[in-house]
Amino acid sequence: MKKIAIYGKGGIGKSTTVSNMAAALAMSGKKVMQIGCDPKADSTSLLRGGIPQGTILDLAREKGDAVTLEEMVTEGFAGVLCVEAGGPKPGTGCAGRGIIIAFDKLAEKGAYDVFKPDVVFYDVLGDVVCGGFTMPMRGGYADSVYVITSGENMAIHAAANIAMAVESFHGRGYAELGGIILNKRNVERENEKVAELADDFKTTVIGEIENSALIAKASEQGKTVVEAFPDSAEAEAYKKLAMKILES
Amino acid sequence: MLRKTGLEYSVPARGGWTIVHVGMLVPEAHEIFVCAAGCLRGVVLSAAEMNLTGRFSTVAIEEHNVTDGDMEELLIEGVSDILERLEKRPPCVLVYTSCIHHFMGTDLDDCFRVLGERFPDVDFVDCYMTPTMRKSTLNPDKMMRKRLYAAIKPLKTDENDVLLCGNCFAVTDSCDIKVLIEKAGKRLLELPNTDNYADYKKLGSAGLIISNLSVAKDAADELAAKLGVKSLQIPFSFGYNEIKDNLVKLAGAVGTEYDTFEADCRKADEALRAAKDVIGDCRIAIDGMITTRPYSLARLLAEHGFNIDIVFSDSVGGEDTDYEWLKKNVPGIRFEKCVSPDMRTYRYEEPVESSDSKLVQVQDNTSDNGSYNTSITSDNGNNKSDIAESFGNKPKILALGQKAAYFTQSSYFVDMVENGPLYGFDGIVRLSEMMTESFLNAKDLKKTLDIKGWGCESCI
Repeated sequence: MKKIAIYGKGGIGKSTTVSNMAAALAMSGKKVMQIGCDPKADSTSLLRGGIPQGTILDLAREKGDAVTLEEMVTEGFAGVLCVEAGGPKPGTGCAGRGIIIAFDKLAEKGAYDVFKPDVVFYDVLGDVVCGGFTMPMRGGYADSVYVITSGENMAIHAAANIAMAVESFHGRGYAELGGIILNKRNVERENEKVAELADDFKTTVIGEIENSALIAKASEQGKTVVEAFPDSAEAEAYKKLAMKILES
Repeated sequence: MLRKTGLEYSVPARGGWTIVHVGMLVPEAHEIFVCAAGCLRGVVLSAAEMNLTGRFSTVAIEEHNVTDGDMEELLIEGVSDILERLEKRPPCVLVYTSCIHHFMGTDLDDCFRVLGERFPDVDFVDCYMTPTMRKSTLNPDKMMRKRLYAAIKPLKTDENDVLLCGNCFAVTDSCDIKVLIEKAGKRLLELPNTDNYADYKKLGSAGLIISNLSVAKDAADELAAKLGVKSLQIPFSFGYNEIKDNLVKLAGAVGTEYDTFEADCRKADEALRAAKDVIGDCRIAIDGMITTRPYSLARLLAEHGFNIDIVFSDSVGGEDTDYEWLKKNVPGIRFEKCVSPDMRTYRYEEPVESSDSKLVQVQDNTSDNGSYNTSITSDNGNNKSDIAESFGNKPKILALGQKAAYFTQSSYFVDMVENGPLYGFDGIVRLSEMMTESFLNAKDLKKTLDIKGWGCESCI
């Protein structure tokens, strides 16, 4: 089982990238689980074709220990197992604590032993602002962390922050930094800036996704580009990225 | 999420053991609580009261630790600092983490890994003081019983060693369990009987793990799995047939026979009869603190003619058969839940008299100690032995357990918790003796109930 955590600045394209990679791997025959670690609970929306997904927190709140794995996990496009951790309403509560509870619940119910996915993606929100958001990095969860960035300065700063967090946990048995994924915005010196970032953290740019209207068009349809436009160059790019991450 | 239970009353009978008392059963172990100062207050008083501050330390969490994100560092450095300062390095440290650690997802696995590397000569045991949350299906008591044995590592199995797991009190030498095990040529091991850490570690040689308390079952099963041996439950009971079934099971497991059932029943019956001769028809109140089987005890005593008035217990919990029997066969028996908020203003009232009235008439005759020495004449005209009475002309009530004593305000009570060292037919004999002794000799109710941790040393 390969477990991969994806971090990056809010709005950089994590969920889109992760969903497309999940779809690509599922289409190639892998059993994939995608766990959204975001109170917005929208990570897997492109995979579910409009089917609502109860969040772990909401389900745990309603049903306590009686909540079942089947309720927490929905099968989406190409059989991707979709899970949303959920969290408190915006502006209230503690989202980090919510992630902790969701992970505890999945472990308690034996999610990995029951479903036995080949690949697990943890799609983690925005900045790693507190301890709860590092749960996916911990021993027993992700093996590798990949950070998505563009060449925009704020995205690079966020990526650097996340990479520093990963570095600070060195020696704890946490996930290691697997690489940087460049999700292009076509800003000036984008490739060079992101390459510099990768150098600073002694890693590599493992893949690039071109800025494409087709990806946005598929999103408008509520689908991944792998589903909506399977023969497109964009779909091919996601497949290539996913395979590279899987094999690294 | 746990089901909401609402407001609960906590009876001021302090004999029950807390996680501090239970943890101290591990000989030479040092307890370190890592929590907010307000929470430390309670546990430090427990340790101080039992004169064990020398084996107790604290690390206080402050608000800035939460916001600064150095919870792991605080735990590691705090525990390290304590160990460096102690005159003698303890062989075992029980580190009690608190709600805030779990709320924040503190990486405790990593903390213990680092501590283990820094202090390879110390066994660190993760314990928990998390009253605001429960991370598993185990309540704090069950969890603490499990942690008691966490530092035990498998040794070469000695089939002659049988470990009684999870009890806070060692059984008596005459206890049915011990007698049977020794009859089989084997040895009974008990944590409360270990004098030092080396002896504690030797418990890892046990060839069979037995347990008689439901709170200890998970601990026993986990330890048995760790040692690669069998776990056998022989649940505590006052029912003759239940006791027999359990002793037969135990006998089979240790390779002998239980063939003294009739004789044991006779001894128990005789002991109960002797107690009844003294106690007569005095009302009896029982609680779920003196024993884990209050309804079973009530039934045993009722079957032997004792006047069972009231049972104070918070749940029937697996004693349905005895509970239903009592309701059917003991007219007028009362049941009260100790945790009900109404118990805060509870006043014991004598039951309404029936044709089976057990009321005894007494004469005031103050003795030197303030109790009443009287000659008792029962309502059938027979003289009984001189007894002391607790309050004026009112009938005396014998309370079995601290909570029963508190609610009935009786100075005549058997002071014991969680079955004490008792089990089986021998336990019934001893309890009968304790009942007689308690009936004849008043205790200082307030002073007794004020002492925390029955059986522990106290500085009060």
